[in-house]
Amino acid sequence: MAARFPPVRVPFATLPEALLAAPQEKPFVTMWIDDDDEQTFTFGDFTRWSNAQAASFKEHGLSKGDTVILIMPQGAALMAAFAGAMLLGAVPAILAYPTFKVEPAKYRFGLAGVSANLNAKLVVVDESFPAEFLESVSLSDQSKLIRAHSAPPTSGNGGVTLIPSEPEDLAFIQHSAGTTGLQKGVALSHGAVLRQLAHLSHALQIRPSDRIYNWLPLYHDMGLIACFILPMVYHLHVVMQSPTDWVLQPGSMLHLVSKYKCTLSWVPNFALSFLASRVKSKARKKYDLSSLRALINCSEPVRAESMDSFAAAFSPSGLQPTALQSSYAMAENVFAVSQSGMNGGMPARTWIDGAKYQSERIAVPVEKGRGPCFVSSGQSLPNNEVRIVSEKGDALPDRHVGEILIRSDSMLDGYYNRPDLTSLSLRDGWYWSGDLGFLLDRELYVTGRKKDLIIVGGKNIYPQDVEEIAFSHPAIHDGRAVAFGCYNADLGTEEIVLVAEVEEPSNLESSSDIDRAIRGAIVAELGVAPRAIYLKPPRWIVKSTAGKPARSATREKLLAEHPELRIS
Amino acid sequence: MADFAQQLIDYICKEIIRQPGVQLGVDTPLVSSGLIDSFSLVDVLSKLEEVTATRIPAGKVQPKDMDTVRLMLSTAQRVGKPRK
Repeated sequence: MAARFPPVRVPFATLPEALLAAPQEKPFVTMWIDDDDEQTFTFGDFTRWSNAQAASFKEHGLSKGDTVILIMPQGAALMAAFAGAMLLGAVPAILAYPTFKVEPAKYRFGLAGVSANLNAKLVVVDESFPAEFLESVSLSDQSKLIRAHSAPPTSGNGGVTLIPSEPEDLAFIQHSAGTTGLQKGVALSHGAVLRQLAHLSHALQIRPSDRIYNWLPLYHDMGLIACFILPMVYHLHVVMQSPTDWVLQPGSMLHLVSKYKCTLSWVPNFALSFLASRVKSKARKKYDLSSLRALINCSEPVRAESMDSFAAAFSPSGLQPTALQSSYAMAENVFAVSQSGMNGGMPARTWIDGAKYQSERIAVPVEKGRGPCFVSSGQSLPNNEVRIVSEKGDALPDRHVGEILIRSDSMLDGYYNRPDLTSLSLRDGWYWSGDLGFLLDRELYVTGRKKDLIIVGGKNIYPQDVEEIAFSHPAIHDGRAVAFGCYNADLGTEEIVLVAEVEEPSNLESSSDIDRAIRGAIVAELGVAPRAIYLKPPRWIVKSTAGKPARSATREKLLAEHPELRIS
Repeated sequence: MADFAQQLIDYICKEIIRQPGVQLGVDTPLVSSGLIDSFSLVDVLSKLEEVTATRIPAGKVQPKDMDTVRLMLSTAQRVGKPRK
């Protein structure tokens, strides 16, 4: 696929080569543990740790080309295990670590499915990984499960356990965001990753003095690529927290950016609204965000109000107006397709005629403030092409809304062990994203999704999964539930709304119990809480001519009955 | 203790859950049951500090320590420092 694009100059042939070339004394990872504790590892420390992991994996029989699953908490130990696997030429894949919210049976089911598809030679968990989940890891006769040490080696001989790789060898597998068990493994070569990073570093004008702040999970492309692999290859310092620590103490992000003078960070849209509303105004002056030259809004539709509320809240903290940027990215393209700010300034905005947008799918411009505002996700990176097509697949001109197709020199070759899914998404070299958007003056505006996907805090949720959970409750009529996303401007993200028909009208007397049971099951399986569950009598849900629930018509009926859902 | 617990329960019902008819006890799972989401924990933590008159270092707290009102109060006792 890379052949049709002009060659791009990459600084290294493979990712291990990049790590081994790093300046040994330069800090690589600072991990925030709590208010009183941080740990910093230099590139030298990290390389020795990775090397020790490689030696250990080799003793356990891991060799070039084998897949290895890593299920460890966010931190340097996980990163060292990942890099250690790559030193051996093995292919690591990070899976989400279980949280207390997850119901063991559901987690086991998802883990069994994903691990079976990866057919890993080695599964690596940390010392605290709950034993109750271990039996669910799908192990073949040839595979083995081990526990990795969470502390760096106290001694080392300095030798490197390296099995050379070629640029087009597989480097790692990252999973596209999605419900556990349905996640698709995106297999990426060293060359694809390095080409993507070359384009991204060019767009962001990466310099050695840059420092990244990150709380995003490393099993997500935004955390893995932008906040681990990018700094590893370009030898940058990254200051990191776990997502749960950030949620409980959002101000700690601002403290760390201030303390370490971080220059780059990536966040989903909701994080901007969350920070603006949860960090008290009197606390804002104590932070110094003037070092941030790009805080990039990515992985959810970019909302003007979230950008504006964050900018207003943190201008007293020295935030530069041009720091708020945007990007369109996906695991299938390694990471970014487009990036704003490539020509300086803030992301472009356009105000459109809402009625024409709804009826004709054309973004007709109106005066500022006279219609919905869309924020651009920037222009395509070099060697990345975006095309907008109609439902028939015909190319559409500027301002016409259609499906976003992507072609690049960092595109996946296929989903790991899933040729069926690959052929659905990759056609004639174009990746069919399922996202909707339009182009205007080379700027890409992402407007929504063709698929009925709900994005909650950057996490993709399929409505069918929510509906299946509802169907499993005995009081719910099988096949009579509809889930959809409802945007909450206060949170800056969508929330799940579920409407379900009960079997008998008398079931409505137990609404509270049914609500609680379904709510708990959704959290246990999907890791997010629904905003609202509406239980309705039989025959309430609108059906299509084929007799199936009609999602959009049911949504409109519910919104008409419950206008409060539209307001927030 | 009972008074602190009731204050927290009242706050969570009125300000976080906002659904009529929800009955909470000191041992009702909150986050793991989906009654509240993780993003609300920062508000609940603030209220916990106010009710117990302590300063609770959030970095010493995990979401699982906040899953019930009883766990919250025990967490405040364990890591909370009296407010000056």
